[in-house]
Amino acid sequence: MTSRELLAVAVALLPAVTAAVAAAAPRRAIGPVAIAGAAVSAAAAVTLAAVTLAAPGTTFETAWLIVDPAAGILVGVIGVVGAASVLVSPSYLRTVDEGLVRHAALPRLYYGLLFAFWAVLAGVPVIGNLGGAWLLVEATTAASALLVGFSGKGRALEAGWKYLILTSLGLGVALLGIVLLAATAGGGLDALSWHQLALIPAGGRTVLVAYLLLLAGLAAKIGWAPVHNWLPDAHSEAPAPVSALLSAALLPAVLLVAWRSSRSLAPVIGAQTARSVLVGFGLVSLAFAVPFLWRPLPWKRLLAYSSLEHMGVVALGVGFGGPVAFAGVAVHIAGHALAKALGFYAAVPLLAHEPHAGGHPAGGVARTQPALAATMGVSLGALAGLPPSPLFLSEVLIVAGGFAAGRPWAAAVAAVLLSLGFLGLAHALLDVLAGRARHASHRGDAVGMRPVAVLTVLTAAILLVLTAAAFFLPGSELAHALAREAP
Amino acid sequence: MSGALAWLLVALGLGVVVVRRRSLAVALVTAQALILAVRAHAEAGAAAALAVRALVLGVLLLLVVSRTREPRPVRSGVAPLLRGGLAVTLALALTWLVPTLGLVSRNAERGVLALVSFGLVAVATRAATLFQVLGIVLVENGLALAALQLHTGSSAAIELGVACDLTLIATVAVVFHERIFAEFGAGDVAALRSLRD
Repeated sequence: MTSRELLAVAVALLPAVTAAVAAAAPRRAIGPVAIAGAAVSAAAAVTLAAVTLAAPGTTFETAWLIVDPAAGILVGVIGVVGAASVLVSPSYLRTVDEGLVRHAALPRLYYGLLFAFWAVLAGVPVIGNLGGAWLLVEATTAASALLVGFSGKGRALEAGWKYLILTSLGLGVALLGIVLLAATAGGGLDALSWHQLALIPAGGRTVLVAYLLLLAGLAAKIGWAPVHNWLPDAHSEAPAPVSALLSAALLPAVLLVAWRSSRSLAPVIGAQTARSVLVGFGLVSLAFAVPFLWRPLPWKRLLAYSSLEHMGVVALGVGFGGPVAFAGVAVHIAGHALAKALGFYAAVPLLAHEPHAGGHPAGGVARTQPALAATMGVSLGALAGLPPSPLFLSEVLIVAGGFAAGRPWAAAVAAVLLSLGFLGLAHALLDVLAGRARHASHRGDAVGMRPVAVLTVLTAAILLVLTAAAFFLPGSELAHALAREAP
Repeated sequence: MSGALAWLLVALGLGVVVVRRRSLAVALVTAQALILAVRAHAEAGAAAALAVRALVLGVLLLLVVSRTREPRPVRSGVAPLLRGGLAVTLALALTWLVPTLGLVSRNAERGVLALVSFGLVAVATRAATLFQVLGIVLVENGLALAALQLHTGSSAAIELGVACDLTLIATVAVVFHERIFAEFGAGDVAALRSLRD
């Protein structure tokens, strides 16, 4: 095994081992085991990301494993967000008074599920086979659905149930597409490797139907409109550290499966057709998200609708193709993950300080909680695309990529929708920070603010680095490697 | 695959869409999976995966039915006849719209599309949580049928993957069903309507 293969296996194996150890450890040791496991898992993930991004032209690919720059970006994102979520989790767990199991067993269940979720999620970007990717994506549903319903409250149960049923059904439809591809490709499961899919003989409508079923099914899991109904509920009712993983890591990881499917099947069904479907999902998702960004929504629900918008933006970038758009995609995935995760982490002290914010829009936070307001401001400002947010540059790159790809109408519509989305989130930002407080709120340190404050400083610094990187990416080897077509 | 066998599978699937009793619906999907297991006898791996999955899920779901007795069946907003009509209409539409799937038999292709349609309609129209789970099982039974009818002989791996996945998902769904029953007094999705924008 090469060092890349070993690292790729390790990024999924280490969280799995931590899940098993946390499930068996004595009660007092669960927290330290989780922190240690998160540190080691994240270190492996960041190392793999660094190795792949240092040599973006080198792709390692077998029938079951792929280590390329796209995998590197996603594995890095999953590792960083996973570790940050584990750091914030003790603060969250201190606020929980009931759950799916008796109180004493909650930390064991929580960390066991969190690391199991992390393990299968980390496998998604590096799996080299569509069938294997489907199995891993479906496995993420099982672990994360229980986490969504973790509090055991009625609303959480509703959100978890919707998430489980709608995404399972969607993935059932996707599996029908995969079975059709297997029937067309011949040669067993190896024929479903990303490399082999491109070799299916062109022509015939079956592969096109299979592709459409596959993407329609995956869309339910990515949260693309119009099959996104579970997303706002699950993201708003899940524990905040889990919401961060769902939004920042799970959605783009599944989107990568759609991206790889599109790239592999483009030679069979035609590149324009394959990309048009992605552009369609992107525009529809943006159009669905924007009206909600203008409405006063509870903090986590607002972030959830922002996820719908940003997954639409990434879909547009992948659909447009070309080095400029893909440079935007790379920056957007990383920037969105950091800013969105920080936003969800802010929900821990926010809800501890102002429990009404779970069901009502937050307002005037800067007056009572300046540190928390700074965190929320960094997160929402970055997500809105307020310069110097890297998401401003990534969106500019993606729209420019659309014009460069000969899709001026789609790029123009995207630009208008993005502007409207920006205005909606900017309005929400002002309201959250300086608006009228909707409920009586007291001054004082919010519970769990310390780890969030540290993460705010780190996130702001990394976001600025990403902004700087965005200037150099379009002509880089990385952007060209991401934009490379299937052979 | 013979036409009679395909029709039998489709009839069992339609039963899940229209029957009222949860235990009867569980028996129908279990029978469906066992028939598929018998049909897969030439491929020992696929047959074993299907049979074990059918029995494990059957026992699990019947256990849940006995643990969460409803005072009266959960009413769906859509009448049984209309549900059946919707299911058949969707199946016919899909059969008309979708080109050949490349399976060994055209009967099997129609059966696959019918079972997927019935599963979708069951999830969309049934209010009982357990029936929504059975809708997903129906879809997966349709996919199991498709895997058995591949020319390429990779059905054992697909059946095994689907079996593991479905058992996992059904187990999680059972946890949710029991908690929903405990919280709301019924396994009824009509009670789950507090999250709206």
